[in-house]
Amino acid sequence: MVDTFHKHIQESLVNENLQIALDANAERRIAAREQALRSLSEPWQILRQRAHNVRLQTINNLDDYLDQFTNQAKNNGMIIHRAANASQAVQTVLDIAREKRARLIAKSKTMVSEEIDLNHSLEAAGFQVVETDLGEYIIQLRGESPSHIITPAVHLRKEEVGVTFQDKLGIPFTTDIPTMTAAARERLRRTFIEADIGLSGVNFGVAESGTICLVTNEGNGRMVTTLPPVHIALMGIERLVPTMEDLALMLELLPRSATGQKITVYTNLINAPRQPHEPDGPQERHIILVDNGRQVMRESPLAEALLCIRCGACLNACPVFAEIGGHAYVNDQGESSTYPGPIGSIVSPGLFGQTEFGHFARASSLCGACKDACPVDIDLPKLLLRVRAGGVTLHTKDVERGVPFNVNIGLRFYTWVASKSSRFTLALKLVGFFSRVVAPRSDWLRLPSFTGWGYSKDLPRPARQPFRERWARGLNQISSLNGIQDNNIDPYRIKESKSSSDLRDGEDLIQRFSEELVALDGYFTLCSSKDLPQHLFDELQNQGISSILSWEKNLLPHGLIDSLRSKGITVSEEFNEEVKAGISGAQAAIAETGTLVLPSGKGRAQFVSLIPEIHFAVLRASDIFQNITQVLHLPEVRQASATALISGPSRTADIEMTLTLGVHGPRKVHVFCLEGE
Amino acid sequence: MAKTAQLFVTCIIDMLYPETGEAIVRVLQRSGATVDFPRDQTCCGQPGFNAGMRPQARQMAENTIRILENSPGDIVIPSGSCTGMIRHGYQELFADDLDWLERSQAIANRTYEFTQYLVDVIGVENLDAKFPHKISYHASCHLLRDIEIDEQPQRLLEKVKGAELIPLPKREECCGFGGLFSIEHPEISKAMLDCKIDNLIASGASILVSCDAGCVAHISGGLQRKKISLQAVHIADILDKH
Repeated sequence: MVDTFHKHIQESLVNENLQIALDANAERRIAAREQALRSLSEPWQILRQRAHNVRLQTINNLDDYLDQFTNQAKNNGMIIHRAANASQAVQTVLDIAREKRARLIAKSKTMVSEEIDLNHSLEAAGFQVVETDLGEYIIQLRGESPSHIITPAVHLRKEEVGVTFQDKLGIPFTTDIPTMTAAARERLRRTFIEADIGLSGVNFGVAESGTICLVTNEGNGRMVTTLPPVHIALMGIERLVPTMEDLALMLELLPRSATGQKITVYTNLINAPRQPHEPDGPQERHIILVDNGRQVMRESPLAEALLCIRCGACLNACPVFAEIGGHAYVNDQGESSTYPGPIGSIVSPGLFGQTEFGHFARASSLCGACKDACPVDIDLPKLLLRVRAGGVTLHTKDVERGVPFNVNIGLRFYTWVASKSSRFTLALKLVGFFSRVVAPRSDWLRLPSFTGWGYSKDLPRPARQPFRERWARGLNQISSLNGIQDNNIDPYRIKESKSSSDLRDGEDLIQRFSEELVALDGYFTLCSSKDLPQHLFDELQNQGISSILSWEKNLLPHGLIDSLRSKGITVSEEFNEEVKAGISGAQAAIAETGTLVLPSGKGRAQFVSLIPEIHFAVLRASDIFQNITQVLHLPEVRQASATALISGPSRTADIEMTLTLGVHGPRKVHVFCLEGE
Repeated sequence: MAKTAQLFVTCIIDMLYPETGEAIVRVLQRSGATVDFPRDQTCCGQPGFNAGMRPQARQMAENTIRILENSPGDIVIPSGSCTGMIRHGYQELFADDLDWLERSQAIANRTYEFTQYLVDVIGVENLDAKFPHKISYHASCHLLRDIEIDEQPQRLLEKVKGAELIPLPKREECCGFGGLFSIEHPEISKAMLDCKIDNLIASGASILVSCDAGCVAHISGGLQRKKISLQAVHIADILDKH
């Protein structure tokens, strides 16, 4: 129904806080994305076409890829469930929670859970559910739904968050964002440690290996998928890619498109539950494959929308979204859809119903900025037009499509007039004639507001003599200016964009890694293994740290742990949330993004690089690779139950897009790189 | 060698800006082309297509194709959105009808937007126009993104004697017209129009130039309503000035 929608739109337009927040979001996100695209390994147009084709092939052969993924994941020890619709998905989660006698469920961000309205059902059944993504946490406290698919609290200003924290958490009112972030960190730390179940989404499933991949920045994704004894992952069935190469391509495009990052702080690759020899990780991992309208969409004219990798770039590029925000995208009852903005205007009617959400697609000027921004080159304007024409079925009645009555009548009349030239000419002349009667002395007509046109502007008075009539009577003929010819332009000139991220020839991998790490606010020290113990001890002294968590000592350079102990540092391999620093090794590193690669395994407790405030990592220079693709193929990564790709300290920009370091994961990452190993 | 340009003038120019239509004819003639006007033309069908009323859109599109089939030579359209409709919209509209699809593709293959025709086909950038004013170019959306034309209008404007071409802040941002969108969602349309007008004022230019008469009507209508003495005009109006 138009009225409720229009009402919410109008409310958004006069909400000053919202307008400021939306303008700031658009400006920063667009700039950050453009900056990030300059570091692509190949030109943007080439990569997005390739990504389009990968995702198109996946959707076209979805059943096969789902089978492959399911079989691989089962072989790895994952428990796979299929949920045809929202209530089945909810029921599956409830069944697992009851079976495990769970009480507390910690969630990291998953839009599928919003889609199936999971939280309300869990709470109604007596479970406590806590959102741990900072943006989601804030809106959960406020009882709101997310207003953006990537940054759920983008509609809020820091003053509003301050009020919420004061009301709900009892902390004194503040607009200092680091203070607010620290308060959230402190509250949620207990949640992570005490939760019975960790519930996450899935950014991508890899069919060839049965791997699920999650990308986060705060560390809550790592927390909920590592600490609780049971992990449940909710995954839309369309979120697959065939191979690890395809995953690498998506990982190059997704963070850049979503937040302007080359890579998110934590990219988690999860294959299996905890293996017998591993010190931590959940004993049980479930994947719930959720359909909820996707198969129907796949066989409809809106299928291309299933290529979406949920980056949110279209929302940030959309001038309409920048005016009205996510909460304005409501149904008749004023309930907002999980998915707003350009992509939401297609998948909301596509998944949840044309009658309920078809009107979203009419709130677009079809400018195409969304298509330009899309990293998988979805033709969003084309799909919006298909929604307007009936959506999942293209041949419904106008009433069912949601064509407004006045538009329907008006266009039928216009079509009749325009079907014959003589009628059209007559109509133009009549309009011109009557315009002159209504406004004899002005070049402009002021139409009333309800006409739509007259709401914001005047109408140029239609001419008494339309062009066709002037032509018929003979225009002034001008003789052409002879001989003026400019240089011929090559119409086949193709716009090229430069790409710049490839490691320059001869560039040091170490050099590049350290630059990228430092750019992410990480710390880097190059030294020999002989000097390492002293360097590390000095660091600990400087920070006033006398106790650290550690991997099994023989996985670190020989003698390192003994040396630290001999200098009075307490080193423990047991979980302890009070300890402020942890030291781990690293299987590998990625130079292009400043990333550490930590697969799980015997003696390699994941909590060491996750719980403490400071993470020290020892890396061999010879283990530095150029790009992510090389790392994804390492046998240790393929075989580990879970691999964390760590790029700098944890961060968030969920409050007014102000960057804060040290949310849930470590606030400091210091890499000691051993040269000549 | 003189080219024959079949002018598809567009319903907006026909009704609201016939002088612009005349300017287009003169500019094409000055560039060396012979201009003809298929008199039975009405509308390409974009309004119905945008409304989601595909049967009605098809009726108008079939009509338009028949008329243009009877008019040999290059088809020139002074509008990014109408050109986009014929080039791309028709492919979508006739996707399930091979005959009409082929016929529409044959038309699309010889359809050009006005500035594209001048610069890329005729090969002219300097039309000996004089217009000593501060002007700013607004990149209309279908022109920019649907049919990917952006340099040609600017090259033409650069050659206008005396004109100072000032960059428009957020030149690629939609003005909020979107045809039916401005009628069905006038509130959002107004908010976007306000932004475009603010950016025009900030540029310091007196005149905004666009290749789409829809944008021109929308922006100039807004300027008029706000009683701001800046103007918005179609590019042909400037290229015609001597």
